[in-house]
Amino acid sequence: MQTPIYYPKAEFIETDTGNKVSRRATISGPQNIILGGKTIISNGAIIRGDLKRAGPGHAVVISLGRYCLVGEGCVMRPPYKTYRGAFNYYPMKVGDYVHIGANTIVEAATIGNHVEIGKNCVIGKFTIIKDCAKIADNSIIPPNTVIPALTLFAGSPGHFVEDLPESTQEVVEAHTKSYYARFQAAER
Amino acid sequence: MTPSVSYHCPCLSDDPVPPPPNAPSSSYGFHPLHELFFCEECDAVRCNRCVSVEVSGYYCPNCLFEVPSASVRAEKNRCARNCFMCPNCRNTLSVVPSDPQDADDGRSLGANLSAVGEPPFFLYCSFCRWDSAEVDITFEKPTGLAAQLQKFEDSAPDSLEFERLKEHFEPFLRASSSSSAAASLSGHSHAAHAHATPVNPITAAASSALARDIPGVGKYTPAPRGRRDKGARDEISEYRSRVEVKGTKDGSNVDFMRRLEEVSQVAAFGQRWANSWTTTLHSSELKPLRIPLHSKKTKRCSACRHILIKPEQKAQSVRFKIKLVAANYIPAMTVAFPPSPDPIRQRGAGTKQVPTEGASGASGLQAGGTFPFHLALTNPLYDPIHVRLAVQRPVPPPSSSSSSASPEKARRPPFAVSLPQSAFPIAAFAEAWEYEDDEDMFVGEDDEFGGLDRERGGGAGGGKGKAVGVLERRANVTVVGGEVVVGRDAKGPLKFNMLVSYTYRSDDPLAEDDVRATPSRKEKVPEMKTFSFYTVVDLGTIIPRPRTSASEVV
Ligand SMILES: [Zn+2]
Ligand SMILES: [Zn+2]
Ligand SMILES: [Zn+2]
Ligand SMILES: [Zn+2]
Repeated sequence: MQTPIYYPKAEFIETDTGNKVSRRATISGPQNIILGGKTIISNGAIIRGDLKRAGPGHAVVISLGRYCLVGEGCVMRPPYKTYRGAFNYYPMKVGDYVHIGANTIVEAATIGNHVEIGKNCVIGKFTIIKDCAKIADNSIIPPNTVIPALTLFAGSPGHFVEDLPESTQEVVEAHTKSYYARFQAAER
Repeated sequence: MTPSVSYHCPCLSDDPVPPPPNAPSSSYGFHPLHELFFCEECDAVRCNRCVSVEVSGYYCPNCLFEVPSASVRAEKNRCARNCFMCPNCRNTLSVVPSDPQDADDGRSLGANLSAVGEPPFFLYCSFCRWDSAEVDITFEKPTGLAAQLQKFEDSAPDSLEFERLKEHFEPFLRASSSSSAAASLSGHSHAAHAHATPVNPITAAASSALARDIPGVGKYTPAPRGRRDKGARDEISEYRSRVEVKGTKDGSNVDFMRRLEEVSQVAAFGQRWANSWTTTLHSSELKPLRIPLHSKKTKRCSACRHILIKPEQKAQSVRFKIKLVAANYIPAMTVAFPPSPDPIRQRGAGTKQVPTEGASGASGLQAGGTFPFHLALTNPLYDPIHVRLAVQRPVPPPSSSSSSASPEKARRPPFAVSLPQSAFPIAAFAEAWEYEDDEDMFVGEDDEFGGLDRERGGGAGGGKGKAVGVLERRANVTVVGGEVVVGRDAKGPLKFNMLVSYTYRSDDPLAEDDVRATPSRKEKVPEMKTFSFYTVVDLGTIIPRPRTSASEVV
């Protein structure tokens, strides 16, 4: 019943844990990025692992959980602020089963599990998105916004629209898993 | 648009059979499966319209603080911490000093407040740049702002009037709430009221107001509350309001509207409705709002009062102590047109090439065409089930005046649907059910299974296409093929009601106690039971034939 989504095999690198990263995505500072497994980074996505807190050595800048999707042309950039006179970047943490639509810009601090973010959104700096929340397409979420669990946000500035069904967790989990299963390499 | 299946909840009508799908009332009765609940006691589907809802906890959607119900009352259902909403754009406001040290728009709670700044402080919107100084609201200290704002709110004439009203009716409310509490204690036959949420006087007043006899209006009977203390109401003295209601005679709004230069000068409905009291029409005078609280909700079956949804206490937890959702009881269904031949890779010889119009089915349901479709049913139960499908005969859309031309033709259904007529099995749900194992989830060899049911297949339309029958059985999923024959002059949405009946063993010896883990119903005697429900299948919109053949119609 589920139509596969084929990609040319050479276009993606598949890791041991099943992550699929497009060769046409820009992964800066890969040593500072963690992918949980079975996560897909689409064509044209930009992930800025290079924007890390001042100081030597490695630090996790961006971490994504399992079964995530970073859509085509997305930008994931850690949030920053000047605190007590010092400019700094802060890490971004994304949970499991999180889909981010195409051309969305994310500067959130934390995104929980089972979260759906639509396409063409801007998720402002230090936004906190709790579990099972959903952000509609074309939403602008201002910096520091808090999005509670199981709520739908939409608009510009994004605001609460409605509570989501109690079974959102199961629905999102099934959807993200099936998306990963459908996303297959076409061998020539 | 992707084809979809929605499930019927019969609560809107006494008739268990849903209206035809082209009736305007149809869309209100159907819901996505994941939005429905299931009451084991009533053995029935419930939807958000037919459950009763109780608040099980309050929290602020911005600071996520869980507010105890006692404070909720005192703080008028709004956050009493530093959470404010921009009256202009509804973004959250930040507290800023008069001498912003840097351009950083730190709106984060707490972090910025500790930073020293010069008074006065005001509320600032980083999204639309509104600030509270515009409406003369400034603060000497960056703390306790909510209390100061609430003082404003509470001193509003409307608010004072409401307080006085409550005071005035207090004796009556107390009498009526105690009598209703007594009724709920004594009326043991009514389990409905045994749970007795603490009746607050306002609720009691509202329900007794609703229960009042109004000539010509049907009586609302919540549940027997025992004899009402009629005397108490009559003894209440007359109330005199202190606020003069201006009504429409005051011409200031008309004046304001006349001199309007921009629409944005008028506060839009969205900017006004979060206010507790009537507010100004002038958008330039709107005040910042303390953020209204959100609630977590418990849902009960309104027929038998059993709990269907009970969230965990913690505000941001997405887990539930009780969650009886329909998806755990009745089969999930998805509908799709057969996959079109893949442009990159043909999936081997097993792939059945569908006719060209079928392949384009998702994009174009041409009038006059025949289209196969696939219906996948997933069994959520730990026991195998047998499913039978029946299509409600499609009716022609309510014909316009032109129907007089040929009444017989007008009465002909616009399309005919064929589905397997005999019952087919779906295997039991098993725990180890992983997508990884589902390499071959795409319909391959049609003919192997299709042959079994083909001669018995064929429904209302009688178009016994090769595509009709059981196509595939895999884990707890069975895929059946259907076919729709679209009339030459058909148009509009291709939607039909479908009755789904499934038979299951009503006992489950494996798991007796764990309610959540066993979707199967618990009964002592093993027997076969049948559960039926209606769905509406939406295949898309029919594309009318080009008008070139108009002459032959006439
Ligand atoms: Zn209902
Ligand atoms: Zn708050
Ligand atoms: Zn604003
Ligand atoms: Zn019930």
